[in-house]
Amino acid sequence: MAEFEPKVIAFVCNWCTYTGADLTGTSRIKHASNVRIIRLPCTGRIDFMLLMKAFAKGADGIIVSGCHPNDCHYTSGNFHARRRWIVYRSLLNFMGVDIRRIIFSWVSAAEGAKWAEVVNTAVNEFRALGPYDEYKNLAPIRANWRTEHAG
Amino acid sequence: MSRIGVFVCHCGTNISATVDCPGVAETLSHVPGVVHSVDYKYMCSDPGQTMIKDAIKEHKLDGVVVSACSPHMHEPTFRRACAEAGLNPYLCEMANLREHCSWVHDKEEATTVKAIDLVRKMVEKVKKNQPLYSIKVPVTKTALVLGGGIAGIQAALDIANAGHKVVMVERDPSIGGHMSQLSETFPTLDCSQCILTPRMVEVAQHPNITLHTYSELESLEGFIGNFKVKIRKKARCVDEKLCTGCGLCSQKCPTKKNLSEFNEGLGYRPAIYSPFPQAVPNKPVIDKTQCTFFLKGKCKVCEKVCPTKAIRYDQEDQILDIDIGAIVLATGFKVLQPDFFPEYGYGKYKDVIQGLQFERLASASGPTSGEMKRPSDGKEPETVVFVACAGSRDEAKGLPYCSKICCMYTAKHAMLYKHKVHHGNAYVFYMDIRSGGKMYDEFVRRAIEEDGVKYIRGRVSTIYEEDGKLIVKGADTLLGHQTVEIKADMVVLASAAVANDGAEELAQKLHVSYDPYHFFAEAHPKLRPVETNTAGIFLAGACQAPRDIPETVSQASGAASKVAALFSQSELTREPIIAVVNRTAPPLHSTCTGCALCVPACPYQAIEMEDIKNRDGKVVKRAAKINPGLCQGCGTCVALCRVKAIDLQGFSNEQIFAELMAL
Amino acid sequence: MQDKIRQKARELLSSGAVKVVIGYGEGTGSRVRALFIQRPEDADRLIMDERCVQNLAVYLTKHEVRAIGKPAIVAKMPVIRSINHLAYEEQFNEGDIAVIGISDSDELVDLPDLTSVREYAAKNPLLLTAEERAELDKLETMTREERWNYWLEELSNCIKCYACRASCPMCYCPRCTVEVNQPQWISVPAHEIGNVEWHIMRAMHLAGRCVNCGECTRACPVKIPLRLLNQRIIADIAVNFGQSEDYALAAFNPNDKEDFIR
Repeated sequence: MAEFEPKVIAFVCNWCTYTGADLTGTSRIKHASNVRIIRLPCTGRIDFMLLMKAFAKGADGIIVSGCHPNDCHYTSGNFHARRRWIVYRSLLNFMGVDIRRIIFSWVSAAEGAKWAEVVNTAVNEFRALGPYDEYKNLAPIRANWRTEHAG
Repeated sequence: MSRIGVFVCHCGTNISATVDCPGVAETLSHVPGVVHSVDYKYMCSDPGQTMIKDAIKEHKLDGVVVSACSPHMHEPTFRRACAEAGLNPYLCEMANLREHCSWVHDKEEATTVKAIDLVRKMVEKVKKNQPLYSIKVPVTKTALVLGGGIAGIQAALDIANAGHKVVMVERDPSIGGHMSQLSETFPTLDCSQCILTPRMVEVAQHPNITLHTYSELESLEGFIGNFKVKIRKKARCVDEKLCTGCGLCSQKCPTKKNLSEFNEGLGYRPAIYSPFPQAVPNKPVIDKTQCTFFLKGKCKVCEKVCPTKAIRYDQEDQILDIDIGAIVLATGFKVLQPDFFPEYGYGKYKDVIQGLQFERLASASGPTSGEMKRPSDGKEPETVVFVACAGSRDEAKGLPYCSKICCMYTAKHAMLYKHKVHHGNAYVFYMDIRSGGKMYDEFVRRAIEEDGVKYIRGRVSTIYEEDGKLIVKGADTLLGHQTVEIKADMVVLASAAVANDGAEELAQKLHVSYDPYHFFAEAHPKLRPVETNTAGIFLAGACQAPRDIPETVSQASGAASKVAALFSQSELTREPIIAVVNRTAPPLHSTCTGCALCVPACPYQAIEMEDIKNRDGKVVKRAAKINPGLCQGCGTCVALCRVKAIDLQGFSNEQIFAELMAL
Repeated sequence: MQDKIRQKARELLSSGAVKVVIGYGEGTGSRVRALFIQRPEDADRLIMDERCVQNLAVYLTKHEVRAIGKPAIVAKMPVIRSINHLAYEEQFNEGDIAVIGISDSDELVDLPDLTSVREYAAKNPLLLTAEERAELDKLETMTREERWNYWLEELSNCIKCYACRASCPMCYCPRCTVEVNQPQWISVPAHEIGNVEWHIMRAMHLAGRCVNCGECTRACPVKIPLRLLNQRIIADIAVNFGQSEDYALAAFNPNDKEDFIR
């Protein structure tokens, strides 16, 4: 059987990490192809419910990334996000959700190499953790029935 | 059912080398809602764009996904192409197959699988896209410049010379600011008044500039391009139209012993006064706290002597309402006050003075007419000690920052002193000499080498009086912390530059952020140094941080060019990527709970609470409202809103959700 | 105490200062119910004893109650805190309500206006008791898998009756996100995934707002220890962001911890 390949969803901000990932491309730095990036304007826009839904949709791991402190394009969106994550992460851990499967990082627009590294380490760690069946198995009624049956 | 067109670009071989582009297009053609799916070598080329435009018309597409490079590269290109074909540009999205896929992965099946995922999620997003329209904001082409120092003067002149109206508001009776108090300026030692006064006069005479001195900002409402300000014009008790500035009133005023603010308390002025001879406007004001008439009810000497009958004791403060398009904040700084240094005896010993006082002593227009006379007894000081970093870089006292200008002006002070008292001794206690700037280090070297100023690296611990001398005790850190004691006749403290009085209050009125020391904060420390977080409000000069004249002037010109750019069009066009609060049918009116928790979270103060009224004018609901002129579209409020009453256009909950569910 | 409350309620109603007094009264069996007294002569039906723990603040935002007119509310500490939060969230203005405050030491507290409510709440900061902290610690010492199984077992009982929501004074939203179906954030059926999602959301939406009255847990018909989730967050906010009157998640400190961010 082939090695398990984790499904990884990344929520990133438009100005730092998305642009940083563009730089990874421009610099042709190869990295694991498991990650699917969802672009949002700012880490402040990342609703905690999106992370919850990503697991429900079958993600084995999640990356959340934005601008370094003080570099936010919107000056403080990342600060607000960071507060939210402190609370959210602790709550999930308290509920027994495997928070090793959510990786937070700051990747600036100049850190193309760092993005590749974040992706590779994340994928390796998620691969080692194996599929997140614990959460996936909660969803006998698939969360995507609506999108599948709607146009 | 949606009618989506998918256009897969090979980007030469940049994408197709590792991604099976025809395969991606083929797979996508089977996705529900996709009615047209093709691949092509260069989508961004003319034929490529034409292909998209033709397909929009031929297949009646209501959504387009261009699967090519990063949206940062070509999103504007393809959105424009869609608009030209009659499709709302915001119904076009890009899937990033190049930077995020083909360039970073090898040619293998997983790469194409990823490419398909990336395109499919954008197809699902586009299905939920709504047509959006750019926001047009009208612009009132009048700028408000707050502060009439060199920063404000430069900004006002630049904006006025660009052909726009300027309203300048200055708190003091005259413009000129701290620069008008200076004797000479580093590093050239040209006379400050000589270079400044022509500009002050230019401001007063410029047809595009309206000057309100002895006035303050009362309130501000509105947003970029559309501010409404109230200016309080304080009562001068002098009719500015009639007054010719002859100065007879000041000469005859019996109350003359009032400490002069302009001379930093080293001289006196009458109760009716112009701060200095070159004041602009040269119209006096009555200081009601010192005027005998206002205190005791009789005198009226000025009224009697005024040849044009311009005195108005009953004048009241006036409130002016002005429409403004942009604001330049140039409110400057002040120097630390005496109570900060009990150990230096400032305020206790008359001959311990601060830098601005020294400027007045050295100035030809100052209280000593430029002769070096110390304040206590008017004697020429034989030995003068200059203490740099008085208050600055002192974390223990809460001012960890460097005031930046002191190293240079201290060198200048020592030099000016030596030029006036050739046989005198000038000592400078310093921590470091920071003289970065064109001709700056040469200037300091000149003070040391040519003028023989003695620099001692160390801090002064205490200053006290003994036998008519000021004993300055310090350490010389270059001589192994050896104690140094100097018997001085006068001590000049290079006291720290701090935020001006009322800076915090003003920042709050303007919704501008400020740092812990109440200096106004720029939007980005590197890339947006003259903008504030509030769109349409710009910064110039020392209200942002301590800075010298050349820096202040260049920043003021920078702020002015931002204003001029804003005023170059009659309407401001903004991307419609902004947050909106939903409105629903009564009785709900909006799902907003009115909890107002989003208000403090907005980095741009774009959210306010609004009363929703019914036809009879009765308030039926209180809900958040986002000002489209101020919102920058970060979405922090969207993620914070518990009931999802706020959504972000272009990155709406439905769009992101659909994108996620496609994976 | 009971007499003082009755006396106060009578005064408020007979003077016309308020239209209704929200307090506790005898229910069926030996249970206590919320009472809405509108006539001074009914004030003697109000009771106050150790059974009176329900957070009555939940009624303040109900439009049926608002329709009666200005209320006075019997308010012990958790209720006072709820009133303070509701005022902070602009759910009522100065003069909209009267408070019959009761201190922890069973004294009437004079709370004539919302400012005094705020000051009183600030003077009595929300702190977890030693037992409450011990209970959190008990879960924290489990392995992650044990915690997950613990919560799955508890939450698998959830029937999504939303009693937790209905009993919570801070759950006053006119349309809860659980009812949003464009998009469908929370899976509808009372199955594990939907239950987990609902309770994560409920806890997060109460972060920085919950006053630890325990009403959700008391209201739960299947006895899920819901308040533990809220207490976890209360403890985290206190440790990480300190005590503040402001809503913790709409504020930030540039030096907030980020040891978990790479």
